[in-house]
Amino acid sequence: MNEKIIVALILWPCLSAVFCFTIGRKHSRIRNSVADIMIGIEIFLYLLAVWEFYKEGMAMELVLPNVCGLGVSFRLDEFRILYSGIAIYMWFMSTIFSKEYFKHHQNRNRYYFFLLFTLGATIGVFLSNDFFTLYIFFELMSLASYVWVVQEETKEAIRAGETYMAIAIIGGMVLLMGLFLLYYEAGSLDFEAVHRLFLEKRNATVFVAGSCMLFGFGAKAGMFPLHIWLPKSHPVAPAPASALLSGILTKTGIYGVLLLCLSVFFEDRLFATILLLLGSITMLVGAILAVFSIDLKRIFACSSVSQIGFILVGCAMIGILGKEGSLAVQGTVLHMVNHSLFKLTLFLIAGAIYQNTHQLDLNQIEGFGYGKPFLKICYTIAGLGISGIPLFSGYVSKTLLHESIVEGSLIMAKTELGSLLSIVEWLFLITGGLTFAYILKAGLAIFYEKGKQPWEKGSYLNPMGRIAIGVTAFLLLCMGLLPRIMMDPIAEYVKGFFYEKEWHRIAYFSFVNLRGAMISIAIGLLVYFFFIRKKLMKKEEQGYQYFDCWPKWLDLENGLYRPVLLSFLPFIMAFFCRILSRFTDGFVVFLHQTVLKPAKTRQYVPIGSKFTDFLGRMVDEVVVGLNKTICKKKPIKKSFVELFAFARIEAKRTNRLVGRSVSFGLLMACVGLMITLVYLLATM
Amino acid sequence: MKGDITLLIPILLPMIAGGLLYVIPWVRGRKKESIYAFFVVLVTLVSSFFFAHSGHQLVMFEIIDGVNIYFKIDKLGRMFLLLTEFMWLLSANYSEVYLKHEEHTRRYTMFFLVSLGAILGVCCAGNMITMYLFYEWMTLSLVALVLHTQTADAIGAGLKFLFYSVAGAFMGFSGIAVLAQFTNDTSMDFKAGGFLDMELVKGHETLLLTMVFIMILGFGCKAGMFPLHAWLPTAHPVAPAPASALFSGNVTKMGVLAICRVIFYGVGVDFIKGTWVQEVWIVLSLITIIMGSMLAYKEPVLKKRLAYSTVSQVSYILFGLALLNPIAMMGALMHVVFHSIAKNTLFLTAGSIIYRTGKHRVEELVGIGKRMPVTMWGFVMGSLILIGVPPASAFLSKWYLAQGAMESQIRGIWWIGPALLLVSAILTAGYLLPIAMKAFFPGERGNYGTYTKKDVAIAMKEPVVIYAVLGVLFGLYPKPFMDLLTVIIQEVF
Repeated sequence: MNEKIIVALILWPCLSAVFCFTIGRKHSRIRNSVADIMIGIEIFLYLLAVWEFYKEGMAMELVLPNVCGLGVSFRLDEFRILYSGIAIYMWFMSTIFSKEYFKHHQNRNRYYFFLLFTLGATIGVFLSNDFFTLYIFFELMSLASYVWVVQEETKEAIRAGETYMAIAIIGGMVLLMGLFLLYYEAGSLDFEAVHRLFLEKRNATVFVAGSCMLFGFGAKAGMFPLHIWLPKSHPVAPAPASALLSGILTKTGIYGVLLLCLSVFFEDRLFATILLLLGSITMLVGAILAVFSIDLKRIFACSSVSQIGFILVGCAMIGILGKEGSLAVQGTVLHMVNHSLFKLTLFLIAGAIYQNTHQLDLNQIEGFGYGKPFLKICYTIAGLGISGIPLFSGYVSKTLLHESIVEGSLIMAKTELGSLLSIVEWLFLITGGLTFAYILKAGLAIFYEKGKQPWEKGSYLNPMGRIAIGVTAFLLLCMGLLPRIMMDPIAEYVKGFFYEKEWHRIAYFSFVNLRGAMISIAIGLLVYFFFIRKKLMKKEEQGYQYFDCWPKWLDLENGLYRPVLLSFLPFIMAFFCRILSRFTDGFVVFLHQTVLKPAKTRQYVPIGSKFTDFLGRMVDEVVVGLNKTICKKKPIKKSFVELFAFARIEAKRTNRLVGRSVSFGLLMACVGLMITLVYLLATM
Repeated sequence: MKGDITLLIPILLPMIAGGLLYVIPWVRGRKKESIYAFFVVLVTLVSSFFFAHSGHQLVMFEIIDGVNIYFKIDKLGRMFLLLTEFMWLLSANYSEVYLKHEEHTRRYTMFFLVSLGAILGVCCAGNMITMYLFYEWMTLSLVALVLHTQTADAIGAGLKFLFYSVAGAFMGFSGIAVLAQFTNDTSMDFKAGGFLDMELVKGHETLLLTMVFIMILGFGCKAGMFPLHAWLPTAHPVAPAPASALFSGNVTKMGVLAICRVIFYGVGVDFIKGTWVQEVWIVLSLITIIMGSMLAYKEPVLKKRLAYSTVSQVSYILFGLALLNPIAMMGALMHVVFHSIAKNTLFLTAGSIIYRTGKHRVEELVGIGKRMPVTMWGFVMGSLILIGVPPASAFLSKWYLAQGAMESQIRGIWWIGPALLLVSAILTAGYLLPIAMKAFFPGERGNYGTYTKKDVAIAMKEPVVIYAVLGVLFGLYPKPFMDLLTVIIQEVF
């Protein structure tokens, strides 16, 4: 019975989605509460599963053979417990937040349906034990979450939705190609089996397969150059949904990348280096974009891209360091957890602001947070956390990641990889600084600067919303203050997932480690005061004016992807396909007009009788002649052939009529004669 | 007449019933005719389910010496038989309301039944000659469905369908005539593994290969394979929706069945494996896959878009057959059923949209999901099945096709094939999903005030829902179906 609970964990949200939808058609109020309760029950199921896990004392595995063809399999171990727990937690928080946020929105019913349904799919992703199962739930999750992005149905939302869908579909298909190749090479998609099979030999096919899979997972995670959907879709989605998109859905991509690093490319230097490069670029690009953005949610979205970059660097370090990669493991896991919680808090804060102001532009919401200590404190905790300021939780994970890079560059000193790593280390610090800069920018704009308009100080968030934001912020605070108690155990708890590592810890608050954070803070302050203040802001009578100086043409989506994928490629391909498609028809037509041309059987068919036709043509000739000479000004336009033909028909008809009437007359005359004769005979 | 007489029920019952429709005085009017058709198809389905088991055979009569009209049911034939009857049944159910839209319903119903009989004849045929006869008969009775509306377009399309089909069938027939020279069995009964006599073939391989190729092209015409695919996008949009659903879901599959018969039960796999015929066949089917998807992506008329999609999807099946290995054939035969399901859903929803709103072009469908939610949900499910989003069923067939392609180890094809399948899947998403997206999320393009929920009648929703559910169920638990296919495949390999 024990393993069956996994199925319940996945199916329950999907069933409750249907249930809520049915209720919501009539009673929207009840539906909102029912949705909360449903996720509450999901939490209960989760706890039950954890309890079963401890009773068992080992990882639970569940194989459902023949379901979906190849059979699906699930596994419940420490890492999966951690991440499905976080997923359910985040869902619960954003669902209780949704009730107030969506008070005046249309189409709430579908939102709740897809919210719950996606939870099921996401749990499925995290609990899967082979790539096939993972793929199934991954696709379901991608498609179902599309509805979140377009929920508001504004023009931007629909456009962002198109991008999201395109990335989901293309990413999914490329991932599937990877799975085809992998399955062909390995004969199994089980993580363990793949891990064992490719410990030693990896041929080119496996490498291609893995790269395809990296593309697919990276697309969901928001890896450069596939990050384009994040900055577009997060700002337009409803805030609770953005929190989930950013906090959890990107993590499913990361989860895929992690699995890739641990199974197909276990300790593969080449792959890790590629991942390192992509991760660093992602990290930097995201931060730069965030610094330039002036839309609050866009800042957070770009920040997500950047933080995902950090995590990808961590994944790469796990691969590069191999057995010594314990710091990288800890850093990656903790930063994943941290980032999920940061983004939950930050996006819900953005949601709280939006539901009061209906604006997200920094120029419009400037000063909203002035005199709202609750929001201010929560923002500070999450914001400073994400910037990696000491005593906040992000510091711990970033320090671990930083240390793992330093460790790598020391171990690999004097090789190309070593020098690359020292560059990455600096990029890491600079990006940390940029993070601090954009957090400062948004924070100061909202909470310290006086806005152009006075904001009411009254109630702006109901208790449910305060719980959703406050609990998470409190959790983050504790994690930051007590890293040894709150954070290290998490990392230690999941270490079984990463195979054998030489486990060691670092002193978080030693000088060496604080130095990195200090450098970042210094860079951040420099950027804020000498770049953002100078170039991106202008002081006005009241408050500041923020500018979006990012050049419009410098946009991967509008500048490259859309033109190429929507205009250029389809045009070329359709051109050739049209030619092919018309090939047979064209061939037949060609034959028809050349070799098989029908003989000229078209002869002159006289109109009317031969006589009228002849006469008409004669007259027509004369008329043509007349038109050219006498009647030049008033040419005669009628054709006499038809005229005569009509005349002939007319004449014929009249003839017939006349003929008939004559014969009738004759008949009558005959009858009359007969009667006369009879009368004469009778009288005689 | 020797053998199981019951075999005649599926073939003769619809035909006779169709003919009687003109005679029986009390079946008049759309409603009665539809119910009559529904029950005839139902009886056919039930009787063939119980009586037409694999292994049953019937020699009807001898045309000339040694050439028999001979029916024999095997697992493959039975699969196509039941599939066809099932689709006809749901289509009859759908027609009941849809035909309000059309005139001459009696003629429509009659040809609806007669063509069913002809197609069942193709499914039950036990030798080449019988199959060919019913194949031609099928074409002739289907023409009436294509040009049913009798507009200039429809008549043109009907003629195009007729000429293409006849050309294709003649190509097939010429092949049959040549095959007859190389076998000892004058009536060419289907035999798993082929009926050719290798002694006779010796020295004539080139001729035979050429003729096999011509047969593939000829029967591939019905399956919409390049270069004889052009009738599909012309004929589908003009036919009444239930008929175009059947064309796409079923008539194209008869081409597939005929090719199966020729390759696996006629000349045998070993004869063409590794020859130029196989390679060209694969290339042609791959060209068709991409061409169909690409043109569908560019096509603004909904039904025409679906027709191009059929061109592409049926070639998935041909691609699977062409690879000539068991895994790919598993994928191909799965796709026969799954594509039928998906395409029937899509065509029926397209028909419902036309019926309710009169809109043909995709850009007019903004916000239609708000008006016809059930129908459009059907459309979404059909799209997802066709794209192959797991766990919907066509994902599986794609999986097996790709694995089969890799297993075949044909140079280049082993990875280009799967890659093209996925490119085509992306295009499929590109031409189907935007419709669904616009339908449900009109945004500022639509006008929320004008959307009043008014879906079509239940009889038109039933088939869509049934197909959608089936499409997902097959994907979720395909085991029984796959077991059946395994038996078929083991027979021929």
